Amino acid sequence: MSKQQAAIVSAGFCEHASKRSDVNMAEMANEAIQDCLNNANIEMDAVDAIVMGNMPAFEGANLPELWMTDWVGARDKPLIRVTTGGTTGGSVAIAGYYHVAAGLPGIETVLAVAFEQQSCGNTSVGLSSVALGEISIVNALGLPAESAMRIFGAGAAIGIASYQAINYMKRSGCTEEDLARVVVQNRRNAAKNWWTHLKMPDYTIEQVMATPYVSYPLRFGMVTPASDGACAVLFTREEIAKDTVDIPAYVNGVSSVANETGIVGYAAAGAGQLDPCEQLGAVESAKLAYSQAGISFPEKEIDYAEVYSPFPNQELMWLERLGLFKENTAHLRYRDGTTAPNGELPVNCSGGVNSTNAIGASGLERVAEAALQIMGKAENQVPKTVHTSIGHGWGGCINFVTLTVLSDQPRRK
Amino acid sequence: MTRKRIEITTGFVQADYNFWVGKYMDKFYDGLESKQVLGNRCPTCNRVFVPPRKVCGNCFKTIDLSNNWVKLKDTGTLRNFTTTRIAVSEAGKKKTSEAIPIGMVQFDGSDTSVVYPLLDVQEKDLTIGLKVQVVWNDELKGHPRDIKGFRMLKGGER
Repeated sequence: MSKQQAAIVSAGFCEHASKRSDVNMAEMANEAIQDCLNNANIEMDAVDAIVMGNMPAFEGANLPELWMTDWVGARDKPLIRVTTGGTTGGSVAIAGYYHVAAGLPGIETVLAVAFEQQSCGNTSVGLSSVALGEISIVNALGLPAESAMRIFGAGAAIGIASYQAINYMKRSGCTEEDLARVVVQNRRNAAKNWWTHLKMPDYTIEQVMATPYVSYPLRFGMVTPASDGACAVLFTREEIAKDTVDIPAYVNGVSSVANETGIVGYAAAGAGQLDPCEQLGAVESAKLAYSQAGISFPEKEIDYAEVYSPFPNQELMWLERLGLFKENTAHLRYRDGTTAPNGELPVNCSGGVNSTNAIGASGLERVAEAALQIMGKAENQVPKTVHTSIGHGWGGCINFVTLTVLSDQPRRK
Repeated sequence: MTRKRIEITTGFVQADYNFWVGKYMDKFYDGLESKQVLGNRCPTCNRVFVPPRKVCGNCFKTIDLSNNWVKLKDTGTLRNFTTTRIAVSEAGKKKTSEAIPIGMVQFDGSDTSVVYPLLDVQEKDLTIGLKVQVVWNDELKGHPRDIKGFRMLKGGER
């Protein structure tokens, strides 16, 4: 048993929408798996193990890995479920990678599938079980439990993002129009992918700015949707990968880093941070994953990024914390077109989480799209050659970051 | 160490959940409305599923929605049974004086079984292999409860 170089050879999606009431949860996850297998022209028999994930009980259906076994092709095969909040999909990808990289006998090809059918469940109730996880945070905020319930139960993720946005704007001089610009780019990109949710090919900054605030400075037109959808990714060993596709996307670095536990990003425990857009978890995850992949100059060496940004300010923040742009300059790179599909560092050509958010699947979709851009098989393929890309995830108790570094070359030994 | 309750909060959280049945089960429920039990056949392994499913669990093959449908008779075989003394309904649950028999029934021509109450039968008369028939509800709504349960057919054990 020796460590194996793992690679992604295929990715698949199902159609995402606010309500996929034409399928049940199992049928929906199966659609993405079939698409993934079809794209690689392989049968389920070639898959040795399955990793799956979705949010904990968002659909109100527990233990889906057990009753959905047949639907994900796991009959008589090793199956494990991973669930780490918003990063679930990112963790599913990393678990898929570990399965292959471990070099276990008989485990050569692994299918990773992540899904969420939000229309079945109650996302706010699901989230409140995450948000109220640590009571000391509530105390640190000086809130009586009743008020805290109201804030966390109703506010969900946007409350957190708006704190991050305020600090980011203060630091960088980024304007509300800059935030709108990020959204417009994402929604227009989404329109070029068949599987995405909010396809808005003609969306404009003016249209975004005409919508009301949901939580200052974030407007209704900037907010991530709640989607139903699924994604599947196929991991395999280097030698099989070479036989399966022309350009495999080699997995050369992975990291999962938890930062402080903080409901609004403030220090309730842990690192004692005061700035919610500091995001030490992202900084640390980048260090770890880049060093594994042998990347010393991320801003030069990384050609494409899929970052997990339900809200536009987060896209700017992550790109900086992950070392792709200098601090406080990301919004300028949207103004000059650097991040556009034909730019120097294209970002979220899938439309990102801002356009499509089947929560459990979102993290895996970032990895899938980052891989497809290397393989030259993305729906909204960028014109430049992508040698190295990253797929990022954010979530957990808003403190957790996952990162996957992919390349068209195996890791330098 | 002394213990003191600082604050007690009670609240009410309402959470509504859905489960979309999908197109296959939708067709199954539509069938019940006209007293028709529908299954579907996996074209690869020929197993017949009642209720129908989109993907065969044995072959991992998608069973096409437009064909492969099998119309089944409303008769079947008792494959297993038990009794309960607690009646459960949407209104709640209550203890009953009489045992309610529940059975796993394999529809004739299918490879799966469904679980429904067994009607007008005594615990002591139950045995695996009995021939049974659907008792339909008076009001048919395309709902699982359109099948009220199963009654024993004369002829007994097979």
